[in-house]
Amino acid sequence: MKKDKTGYRNVSENPCNMCMPLGGILALKGIEGSMVLLHGSQGCATYMRRTISEHYNEPIDVASTSLNEKGTVFGGEDNFKKGLDNIRLVYQPEIIGVLTTCLAETIGEDIERMAKEYIKDREIEGFPIISAPTPGYAGTQAEGYFSTLRKIIMGLAKETKKNKKINVIVPHISTADLREIKRILASMDIEAILLPDYSDTLDAPYTKTYERIVSGGTKVQDIASMSGSQATIEMAEAIDDVISPGAFLKQEYGVPLYRIPLPVGLKNTDIFINTLKQITGSVIPLDLSAERGRLLDGMIDSHKHNFQGIAAIFGEPEHVLSAVTLCMENGIFPQVIATGSKTHRLEDLLYESLAESEQDYHIMNDTDFSHIREKCKNSGVNIAIGHSEGKYLTEKEGIPLVRYGFPIHDRIGGQRLLSVGYTGSLSFLDRITNTLLDHKYINYRSTMLQKYYDTRS
Amino acid sequence: MAINSKKLDEILDLYPSKVKRNRKNHIVVRDTTTVQEIEANTRTVPGIITNRGCAFAGCKGVVLGPLKDMIHIVHGPIGCGYYAWATRRNKAQSDDPKNNYISYCFSTDMQESDIVFGGEKKLAKVIDEVVEIFHPKAITISATCPVGLIGDDLNAVAKAAEAKHLIKILSFNCEGYKGVSQSAGHHIANNGLVEHVIGSGDMEEASGKYPINLLGEYNIGGDGWEIARVLKDIGYDIISVMTGDGSYEELKNAHVSDLNLVQCHRSINYIAEMLETKYGTPWLKVNFIGVQSTIESLRNMALYFGDQDLINKTEEVIAREIAVVESVIDQYRMICQGKTAFCFVGGSRGHHYQGLFAELGIETILAGYEFAHRDDYEGRDVLPHIKTDADSKNIPDLKVTQDEQRFRLKLSPERAEELKEKIPLSQYKGLIQDMKDGTIMVDDLNHFETEEFIKILKPDIFASGVKDKYVIQKMGIPSKQLHSYDYSGPYAGFRGAMKFAEDVANSFISPTWNFITPPWKNEPLLEGKIEEGK
Ligand code: SF4
Ligand code: SF4
Repeated sequence: MKKDKTGYRNVSENPCNMCMPLGGILALKGIEGSMVLLHGSQGCATYMRRTISEHYNEPIDVASTSLNEKGTVFGGEDNFKKGLDNIRLVYQPEIIGVLTTCLAETIGEDIERMAKEYIKDREIEGFPIISAPTPGYAGTQAEGYFSTLRKIIMGLAKETKKNKKINVIVPHISTADLREIKRILASMDIEAILLPDYSDTLDAPYTKTYERIVSGGTKVQDIASMSGSQATIEMAEAIDDVISPGAFLKQEYGVPLYRIPLPVGLKNTDIFINTLKQITGSVIPLDLSAERGRLLDGMIDSHKHNFQGIAAIFGEPEHVLSAVTLCMENGIFPQVIATGSKTHRLEDLLYESLAESEQDYHIMNDTDFSHIREKCKNSGVNIAIGHSEGKYLTEKEGIPLVRYGFPIHDRIGGQRLLSVGYTGSLSFLDRITNTLLDHKYINYRSTMLQKYYDTRS
Repeated sequence: MAINSKKLDEILDLYPSKVKRNRKNHIVVRDTTTVQEIEANTRTVPGIITNRGCAFAGCKGVVLGPLKDMIHIVHGPIGCGYYAWATRRNKAQSDDPKNNYISYCFSTDMQESDIVFGGEKKLAKVIDEVVEIFHPKAITISATCPVGLIGDDLNAVAKAAEAKHLIKILSFNCEGYKGVSQSAGHHIANNGLVEHVIGSGDMEEASGKYPINLLGEYNIGGDGWEIARVLKDIGYDIISVMTGDGSYEELKNAHVSDLNLVQCHRSINYIAEMLETKYGTPWLKVNFIGVQSTIESLRNMALYFGDQDLINKTEEVIAREIAVVESVIDQYRMICQGKTAFCFVGGSRGHHYQGLFAELGIETILAGYEFAHRDDYEGRDVLPHIKTDADSKNIPDLKVTQDEQRFRLKLSPERAEELKEKIPLSQYKGLIQDMKDGTIMVDDLNHFETEEFIKILKPDIFASGVKDKYVIQKMGIPSKQLHSYDYSGPYAGFRGAMKFAEDVANSFISPTWNFITPPWKNEPLLEGKIEEGK
């Protein structure tokens, strides 16, 4: 084995990540009746709305306080208040989330104080305004997502009676994945609070009447009661405690925390199901066991194709971890593992499983596509797994891409790809296997020709 | 049902009174019997969901980004650079693929420590690195919001790097908080290109006949290529395109042209004006969207040069193209005839596409711009009457003077006057001239108004961008993205018109819509009458 870290460069060439507030928007979109206000200049909001829209194919309403040069000098409180007034009147949300951009943070805006004063000023005691500082320069969308979720809980959770519910906190996964997790929970008769739940708000069915704020999402009163749940399951292994919503519930309200990987692959799904069983004592329904068997059966059927795979896996840390596990279970070697987030957890978490490996591999954090490409070049990598920006590896190095994570803006349906649970894992695995097969057949003739006939060179 | 001012008030009554007063000035129900004004290029109302972007988007994203042989460094945190990465679909081809950076994104990826201690050093290192790795001929640096706030001196870094690497390095202080929209960024980019690039080449005279520049054409979906195909067939020598599929190398010699064509007036009129002052090159407002507009633009160009051979050749090419296009459009018109459209795009397409829609038998009943100024609506005659406010003062005009050596009057003043009677030479009449009575002109249309106008006017198609595309489609109406063309195109010129006709017609006849009836389709039209009787 060989471990190799990337050399340090200043330039970010073709980035692998976005900025914090984008993650904050996604988190807030999973709360019922919510609207988002981005405090800063309007460009950020516009850019993020477009980026999210192209993935979800849904309207993404995010307001901005539209600060301009004057605001940068005198502060943005005036615009902040006006922005909140206008949103409340036009959209009538049940909850508003305020996020900051680099501009607001650089000029030192204290949105928490401003929100408090606004509530007092307008005499709307009890109206929830969640303020989550998300300076774009301080992290990627993954950190923005979790830290906003934590702020949401901090703002809403109250001392409540203990109850039998389970909190399930998920990273930014597809809407199909959210629905699958809900289905699994229901099949085991478990009452859970899923946070966030944008399965309807960001994947709304066509209805006759268009709703300005789409229905669905985790209910505010449910979030308030998360403090009384019997346990929290947080599908996030790579995040720091300081931004972990589950860690907050544990510290503040003593809710036991089970931090588990995203249930992708056989092992990780087992962990999820067994954790549920352990906490609630629920039995695993026959149907679910059958799904497990089907996954196993499928793995056996495709193993001959899979062991030829050498993968480059990139994206948000939790996505990367889950895809690495799935690959390793199926004989696909994850040779290049990369994230744009700054996290050393990824390395620690993967070290054990990769330690025995004979082959070279690279784990990179805080990286960009020029580095990822560098490691893929002439290395035998024949499949890439990650978000759409990986198309660059296809264009430059001819490596086919299995789209997974966010954003998927160059294909339809990226927002509803199913990848979690036994059933989802199998469909994810099939996508990978078939991509390997496609690639093999496309190149089959020329490879054969070169190998057996073209002896001139 | 048409909209009258009462109905309009009903919509606006949902706003707080101050917002209502503000928005009212941005909405005009067209009455051709009077001279009408619209408010534009003023601050967006906070909390009202606008489609506008920022100065950085206008500078780096729109104007500079398409220049393919330059490396465009975004100095700022990663987000702004990422979001502006290859998102405008401006296509570019290069004989020297190694020198084509169109698919790249370069950012200084500022971190918290850079915000605290300043980012100049990191920027300088980033320049060193890209020079070492790519050896570009020229580099641009665009600032995003935090940069101006922490006081990084981009210009000084650029100068020092220029001396070190002996290549052109331009810096643009296009922080997103400047001005009120993308528009500020266009202006900043225009200034920089005139000051540092155009005229820096050593060409003194064009080699071909009829040398021209094409300004404000960004080659979305290949538009510029289709326009160039026709222009070249007629015999024009295209010196440079600003900036779709454009290049630093070409731009340097743009001063040798005899005529500047202006497609998107909003984003590039500053360059057109400055080149007229500096080199004596007049500009002509063209519109290559739509068959008739294209023909008219070609004829106006020929008239400008006034050369009989050129006029003949122009007619020949027009006839050749018409022979192909007409029957195709006729066929699609049968599907589209009688339908209505909303056309709300950035700064020129809200106007440009109306003619093409009309050729398909589609009437535009609401139109407007995201970030245009009053002259784009009311025509340039209004320019002397526009008051400059604090926001526009922040973007200084670049003072240019006659270039002693290269200034050449391309037209005698008499001939110029004579031509101005016939063709839009250094003139743009604005969107308003094509708006019929009772139609609506809206500036900086927002999400709330989008929905309300759809409910009342019930258009058959809505041409706009991705941010409202899904609102529109959720309301059961086909949307046509006119920023990115829904990954289709080209839509400009003759062949583009055919493609557009096909795309629009197909969006009407898609069987998908058979499963969907917008709520109002079954509603009796009583509502309006009751209103009148009140
Ligand atoms: S990095 Fe900062 S300034 Fe840039 S888009 Fe993100 S929040 Fe806005
Ligand atoms: S930070 Fe400023 S420059 Fe960057 S996207 Fe936001 S408004 Fe534009």
